[in-house]
Amino acid sequence: MAAMTSVAAPTSASQSRWSYSTTAGAIAAAVALGFALVLGRVWAAAAIYWIVGLAVGFVLQRSRFCFTAAFRDLFLLGDGRMLRGVLAGLGVATVGFAFVMYNYVPRLAPEHFPAFAGISPVGPTTLIAGLIFGFGMVIAGGCMSGNLYRIGEGYVASVVALLGMLGGLIVMMLTWNWWYEVLIAHQPMVWLPHTLGWTGAVVLTLLGLLGVYALLVWWEQRADMLMPAFPAGPELPPTSVREHWAGVLRRVFVTGWPAVGGGVALGVVGILSYLYERPVGVTGELGRWSHGLFEALGGWHVELAGADLGPCMAVVAGVFATKELYMVLGLIAGSFVAALLAGEFKIRVPRQGRRYAQAIGGGVLMGYGAGLGIGCTLGAFFASIPSLSLSGWVFGLGLLAGAWAGVQAIRRIG
Amino acid sequence: MGQVTRQRTTLDVRGEICPYPMLRAKEAMEGAALDEVLDLLTDHPPALTTVPWQAQKLGFTAEVQELGGAEWKITLSRPDDT
Repeated sequence: MAAMTSVAAPTSASQSRWSYSTTAGAIAAAVALGFALVLGRVWAAAAIYWIVGLAVGFVLQRSRFCFTAAFRDLFLLGDGRMLRGVLAGLGVATVGFAFVMYNYVPRLAPEHFPAFAGISPVGPTTLIAGLIFGFGMVIAGGCMSGNLYRIGEGYVASVVALLGMLGGLIVMMLTWNWWYEVLIAHQPMVWLPHTLGWTGAVVLTLLGLLGVYALLVWWEQRADMLMPAFPAGPELPPTSVREHWAGVLRRVFVTGWPAVGGGVALGVVGILSYLYERPVGVTGELGRWSHGLFEALGGWHVELAGADLGPCMAVVAGVFATKELYMVLGLIAGSFVAALLAGEFKIRVPRQGRRYAQAIGGGVLMGYGAGLGIGCTLGAFFASIPSLSLSGWVFGLGLLAGAWAGVQAIRRIG
Repeated sequence: MGQVTRQRTTLDVRGEICPYPMLRAKEAMEGAALDEVLDLLTDHPPALTTVPWQAQKLGFTAEVQELGGAEWKITLSRPDDT
């Protein structure tokens, strides 16, 4: 038996070689960017969303970013590695979003809200939506955007989860008007700058994130799981310019990025997207697909009350392509490119039947929760807290409680 | 170094997604004999981050070996000198 070598680094940088997968990835990247050029000639807005989607998919895949793990692992392991990444991204986006929103609403008047911001009527439905979504994402092993980028990596179960989400969104559509009349219509839109001013709202949000970080450190300590930093491995400095660049390329395209790096990159892409028009989100587009699917399957047309509630509501049904469609497709394509370049693409089929049941069941719950919450972990949380909206915090609280319940469930499922 | 043959166990978690590869690895590490070596086979890239992370917490070292075709072997063992 070979003697074991002790490698302390998170991933040992063993073989760095060019493979067929890398070649395929380079070709796919060229095709994806070429498509952006062609699309840009006929529909510039769609091309921009395609590129935003590519960037989001690339970042999510490279950093193995996972909102589900961020919440779930607190309870499953007492570990906050991924939540740190989420908090870092929220902090960056909070500052950036404030500048963008200021351009939309320079004068703070109670009836003015920044366009496309992740601000929703806050109340019981926000919490319930977070609960349902949080439970569903732990059962399915990934949230909405998580399953979308996993489709790009070749996960068959994520396609099943996507079908579940569309199903859940259809059920939501059929029950939405009841929720709206009973609760949502009576819930206020709470936007912090209205009461605290710009500075107060930004400072309070950043302090809130810092407070969550402090709680997280306490929680890890309490669980006796405070992570010692990885001791720096015997990393030798590069001996040539060529070796230096090989190392850089490897860290960007092959080795997984640290969670905090992924969170910050995702925050920056979100700011750029909002600078163009709107933050990154997928629920509105998936909602539109679900409406189209329902009508294509012979369902009737449902008129949704309060359809002006925000960018995550599906309002244009029956149109084949919107520019947001290109964001969702770009996300899958960006992840596909990143996975190929890293040698991580593979058609993966679960070996256990119950994983399909988890994918579809979790998917349905996520679809329903995202419809009710007017957004998923991206729109109602990752874009909402930086939008200085109270709804993002309440949705996050719901996600936390839902994830706790989900952990109890998956411990039984095994 | 007088290396004796260590007990070697293979855990095949290919096809499983988070959190299962990491949970299986955690269970195996917690139940492992002192000199046992665990080989975890996975095709789930996030496990390349989560398993070594968990290993570190349990006093194990983790060595990731690329098998090609988006599959990896993570070798988990306690350091020789403990």
